[in-house]
Amino acid sequence: MGKILMKGNEAIGEAAIRAGCLNYFAYPITPQSEVAEYLSRRMPEVGGVFLQGESEIAVGNMLFGAAGCGARVFTTSSSPGISLMSEAISYISSAQCPVVFVNIVRGGPGLGGILPSQADYFQATKGGGHGDYRLLVMAPASVQEAVEMVMTAFPLAEKYRNPVMILGDGLIGQMMEPVEFPEHLRTEPSNKDDWATNGMDTRKSNKPNLVKSLFLSAELLEEHNVILKAKYDRMKQEEVRYEPYNIDTDYQALIVSFGTMSRVCRTVIDDLKAEGFETAMIRPQTLFPFPEEPIKQAALKESCKIVLSIELNMGQMVEDVERSVQGTRPVHWYGKAGGDVPTPEEVIDVIKSFF
Amino acid sequence: MVQVKGIVVIVGNYGSGKTEVAINLAVNRKRAGLDVRIADLDLVNPYFRTREARKPLAELGIDVVLPPEKYLQADLPILSPVIAGLIRQPSQLTLIDAGGDDVGATVLATLADSFRKRRVHMLQVVNPYRPFTDTVTGCLKMRNEIEKASKMTINGIIGNANLIDETTMEDIYKGYDFVKALSDESRLPLEFITAPVELLPEIDVERFACPVLSIERQLVPPWKKAAELRK
Repeated sequence: MGKILMKGNEAIGEAAIRAGCLNYFAYPITPQSEVAEYLSRRMPEVGGVFLQGESEIAVGNMLFGAAGCGARVFTTSSSPGISLMSEAISYISSAQCPVVFVNIVRGGPGLGGILPSQADYFQATKGGGHGDYRLLVMAPASVQEAVEMVMTAFPLAEKYRNPVMILGDGLIGQMMEPVEFPEHLRTEPSNKDDWATNGMDTRKSNKPNLVKSLFLSAELLEEHNVILKAKYDRMKQEEVRYEPYNIDTDYQALIVSFGTMSRVCRTVIDDLKAEGFETAMIRPQTLFPFPEEPIKQAALKESCKIVLSIELNMGQMVEDVERSVQGTRPVHWYGKAGGDVPTPEEVIDVIKSFF
Repeated sequence: MVQVKGIVVIVGNYGSGKTEVAINLAVNRKRAGLDVRIADLDLVNPYFRTREARKPLAELGIDVVLPPEKYLQADLPILSPVIAGLIRQPSQLTLIDAGGDDVGATVLATLADSFRKRRVHMLQVVNPYRPFTDTVTGCLKMRNEIEKASKMTINGIIGNANLIDETTMEDIYKGYDFVKALSDESRLPLEFITAPVELLPEIDVERFACPVLSIERQLVPPWKKAAELRK
């Protein structure tokens, strides 16, 4: 199959089908609605299910139920919708069920706006819901990468029995780029007999499986949290993904940027290079686990004077960048949160203001 | 040479390239000396709309008609009376860029009174490299849905085969063969096809039985520059 031209939202829907996910529950919200629109046509063609819940709260719990039974399942939404799902996300994380969430972020807080934003960085990486849980968070910078991340998300969710979130922004969902799809993956979580409530007669073992998040005794809840923490620590060891750009030069500024904003920063780095001024970028592809060590090392380069976290929000990832750089270089933030993506010219002016 | 004039309504499935085609058609006809106005009727999608090219179009003397500022973010499709006026007193070329799919075309039905007794040319933009319009059947289904929703008849096809920046000559030729077959099957005339301006010098236009509209890309993501439109 050759390349076709797809909106990010359509491509995300198709990628889920190619990944063997035939259960999709969602509620439409701009700028994500085309996923639901696309899958409402495509799911029946492949024998899958698209069910529109009565709200995002319902959707969150439908996901919990389906995943608990061992079904491969996913949803897409945008910021306020993810807030409504947050309770379920916490329960799903605690009950260790694999679910893939896609957040095509819009401006906030509150109802905010419908234009691109990365203001849900904290929500995705630090919680949103209650309790000690973590999501594995991936942030695509192109439509093709959104496809690849969705297809990777299902096996990762199953490997860790943990929700995986794809954090896009409005532009990733709305823009069109040529994409290619790999062939189908397997269709069901391979390890589900060990934990899913998929019926005793379908399993070889006589052990009943229980999907739950309630642990009333201090010892059992402690033990449960230690198990969860060990998983998150393992993610930090095994799942950090990032892309360096122009890193082999004697750059004077190191940019950390993800998603759509990183595309602008690439243009910035190219334009500044043409002027004889070298800058470089670390683009986190996973936001949790965060590429702490690569950023730390890149900041330590002798030529590097400052580190800039450039985001479509009022300064969220910058806290993780500061944590990574550990005070070895000054860290600055630049961003916008209204829905206008800063132009390369604006970012160049900001960088030059430090020199 | 592209010969479109009068009242022209551009429809198609979402992402078919209606707006990019409408903008470039407006520029092409303006350069040919026609008086051109373009109305943005996309009440469905808040991203990548005609209004983004308002400034360069205005500099060429092309009037972009938008919903009034106070209705720009309205949840309901509010149509300005200016649009009806535009149809009653058309320019030499009055381009109406509708929203995507049948949903986007629905708004056209509210203009039925204004369209009555006027010769209106409604053209369907087709990009065979998009989902759901990659087969003749898919394109005809879209045509039916749009006609039903708009209560109007499509009377021509615009071939807009492209993969944006990755479009090759081969894509243009294969895309032409596709829309030609669609035109034969539907008996709708193929008004013109499009090609990126960069590819135009190499293209063998003799191969086509219709004109070619060059596309100077205007709707670009924030990290790219729109093509500069010369007079």
